[in-house]
Amino acid sequence: MRELPQEILDLDEKILAFIRKGMDYQDIEAFNHLALRAFELQFKYIPVYRRYCEKRGVNPENISSWDQIPALPTDVFKVMELTMLPSHSVRTFMTSGTTRPDERGKVSYDEGGLGLMDATIYEAASAFLFPDRVMTTILIIAPSPEIIPHMIMAYGMNRLMEYFGSPLSRFLVGNEGFEVRVLVDELRRSEAEGLPITICGGSFGFVNFFDYCREKELRFQLPPGSRTLDAGGFKGKSREVKREEFVKDCGEFLGIPKDYCINLLGMTEISSQFYDNTLRNFHKGLNIPKAKVNPPWTRTLVVDPDALEPLPPGETGLLRHFDLANRGHILAVQTDDLGRVTPEGFEIYGRSKEGEARGCSMTIDEMTHIRKER
Amino acid sequence: MEIIEVDAYYLPPDIKKQVTSFRREVYQGKEVTIHLTIPLVNRALVETLANHLKKNRKQYLARLPIEQIIDVLDEASRKWLDRNYPFRDLALKTISTITGFSREVVEASIDAEMESSLREDIWKALHSEIRNPLYLDDFQYSPELNGLSRAFGPELIISIFSENIPALPHLLFMRSALVKAACLGKVATGEPTFAPLYLKTIEEIDPEMAKCMAVLYWQGGEVEIEDALFQCGDVVILFGGVETCKSLLEKVPRRIKTLIHGHKLGFGVIGRKRLSRQGLDELATAVANDCSMFDQQACLAPHIYYVEEGGEVSPKEFCQALARAMEVLNLRMPRGKLSPGEASTIHQLRATYELRELKGEEVLLLPSPRGTDWTVTYEKDPGIFSPSPLNRFIRVYSVKDIFQIPPAIQSIGPYLQNAAVAVGDEREKDFVRTLGELGVARITSPGRMSTPSMMWHHDGISPLASLLRWCDVEKKDEIEEMELKKGR
Repeated sequence: MRELPQEILDLDEKILAFIRKGMDYQDIEAFNHLALRAFELQFKYIPVYRRYCEKRGVNPENISSWDQIPALPTDVFKVMELTMLPSHSVRTFMTSGTTRPDERGKVSYDEGGLGLMDATIYEAASAFLFPDRVMTTILIIAPSPEIIPHMIMAYGMNRLMEYFGSPLSRFLVGNEGFEVRVLVDELRRSEAEGLPITICGGSFGFVNFFDYCREKELRFQLPPGSRTLDAGGFKGKSREVKREEFVKDCGEFLGIPKDYCINLLGMTEISSQFYDNTLRNFHKGLNIPKAKVNPPWTRTLVVDPDALEPLPPGETGLLRHFDLANRGHILAVQTDDLGRVTPEGFEIYGRSKEGEARGCSMTIDEMTHIRKER
Repeated sequence: MEIIEVDAYYLPPDIKKQVTSFRREVYQGKEVTIHLTIPLVNRALVETLANHLKKNRKQYLARLPIEQIIDVLDEASRKWLDRNYPFRDLALKTISTITGFSREVVEASIDAEMESSLREDIWKALHSEIRNPLYLDDFQYSPELNGLSRAFGPELIISIFSENIPALPHLLFMRSALVKAACLGKVATGEPTFAPLYLKTIEEIDPEMAKCMAVLYWQGGEVEIEDALFQCGDVVILFGGVETCKSLLEKVPRRIKTLIHGHKLGFGVIGRKRLSRQGLDELATAVANDCSMFDQQACLAPHIYYVEEGGEVSPKEFCQALARAMEVLNLRMPRGKLSPGEASTIHQLRATYELRELKGEEVLLLPSPRGTDWTVTYEKDPGIFSPSPLNRFIRVYSVKDIFQIPPAIQSIGPYLQNAAVAVGDEREKDFVRTLGELGVARITSPGRMSTPSMMWHHDGISPLASLLRWCDVEKKDEIEEMELKKGR
């Protein structure tokens, strides 16, 4: 494959250096500069995005701040490829949640973009998942990338395993499904040997395992330093209530205290990950409120759901993320997640779309269910 | 700021005393604050109330001549149509605050509902469904039977509403009264105030009739209350989404007759002959009206308008005219407030259209100048019926030929309800026939989608006749003799 254009290689080098400085490095000007440069190249290389910006009167010459970069709503990734250099793509990730492949969002990465994502995975996990620099066995309640190559979570967790896991680390969902016996054996071994363990997976995978423990009356008392990382969230109920139940279950079934239960917000459309600051706070002895933290190479704004204009910090609205590691596609992404910005980072309250029909007309969701049934 | 106290319930005066615990919900509007009073409902209350309603019905409503019942209902509708009727004003304030619909939308919906609930149409509806309304009063001679027939309504109709279209509950109370049944309605969390006010109107006109009607409100899924409730009635009518109806239906005992009005879909079709320069603005205004009434929340509203190519005006030009009409209508009758999720859904979907357009696809996005007020999109018929996110978001699909449409909607036949059809040439008859075969329950003209008549077979059923039980006297000899004597 041809090399990436020099201007992209140059930018990647700078972004990579910025990310490599880690979680404690803040340089507002450098961030702004890199964001605008990434925007300039995306404007240049992605014609449809250029036209989108031009329609809004925005071009690289007339903006001076990252928050003026036009954001694209996540759903657009379902209808078209938005990649700087499609011919250089080495990897494509897809959103889940629907059975129709043409309704799944797709994001492709070139070699450079993938390198940026890898760096964010390393730096963010170093700060939030392993601030104590331990190497543990990492057990992942998810299929490996070989089984589901398009799932970004599997890719990311595989990297975690490579960067931070002991040789016994492994994925626990194979072609035959969830190998729950293996998990139980590994947890028992961890208890017996007194070596801490890290369990990662989608939030629902954990919930299934807790149900299994409840049914089989299994309880573990994992060694101190053991931790959980769950990605995603819960539908229905309030997110907070579910979170409390989740953390309680981690304590009851695994013997892992709440400071060692870390939630991660990851999205196919965003290369970086947003971790809870719980373990980092605990490790550093900081007494600050729980939040999802923006790594220095990202920003998050909250916008009014109707006008899409930024709201003052503290007000609830839709989350809009800016991520330098998104260099290969679109830097600014408008989500449909409700949340608010706090002094520590941001809070997320879940998908805003989860709502009941108000009238008697059939909704898109109902129709989707009906089509699935057939 | 004005504070308005409103009841989210209606109980006959003689039973009201028995309810002592209430809770309150507060809704903060721009100009008013609504204090909703909600009785705490339990199994005992539901059972006592049901028996009470049945007793009152037996003593009064069951014996009331149909003509008198119609007079009461007609008077109630006329009161509500009066701009100065205090309850009307109260409803406009409370419903717009609670639901987020604009005052103008609520006003239009009350007018539409009440205008179709007047004496003449009520008689017509009865004639259409049971031919002779006097069957409801006593045995009447039926020439076909050559005998006597009488129709009996149920004792008690239980009705569950799970949407906030303001006028639906009133329709059910009217229908119950027409078949001389008592009615206990559970209103929706989203809009619990209109039905209680309507029953207060009935109380003003005929307090005895009002004693056969009640409205309660609780959060859905209260198993104990719902179980008790379904045991008490002899007909259950359910309104709601597919899942809601399914789970409620499981609780209804088998001996009880159940009518289900699930969520449905509407659409419109405009043929090329109707797409001329002259009359374009009128047509666009009519379509804008269909898409804007109840903010498109009602099942009568269109999700998609199919527009045929080959007319004097192209489907794209039609979209431009429709966009202008949507804006004009929005100024006169503003769209209501949206939840963050509803607004977000619209922005997300708009962006997919916008990017497709920018990429050079045969697609148009015509959004309101501000926020998410309204949206018109244009694309070639993708061959699949994609529902709208509603709240005045209309998809226009262009088709080479209107007969392309039926195959695309065949699979959702059971969910089709209302279609506006303006073909404008000899194909209309065939097209209408095809839609009927597919499952469409009402076909009308653009602009009339939101105003069905009382005579309409609601969701394809006979809403009054379905509630009735008949008794026929087939004693041919004796009756012939009687009729002969009458003849002399």
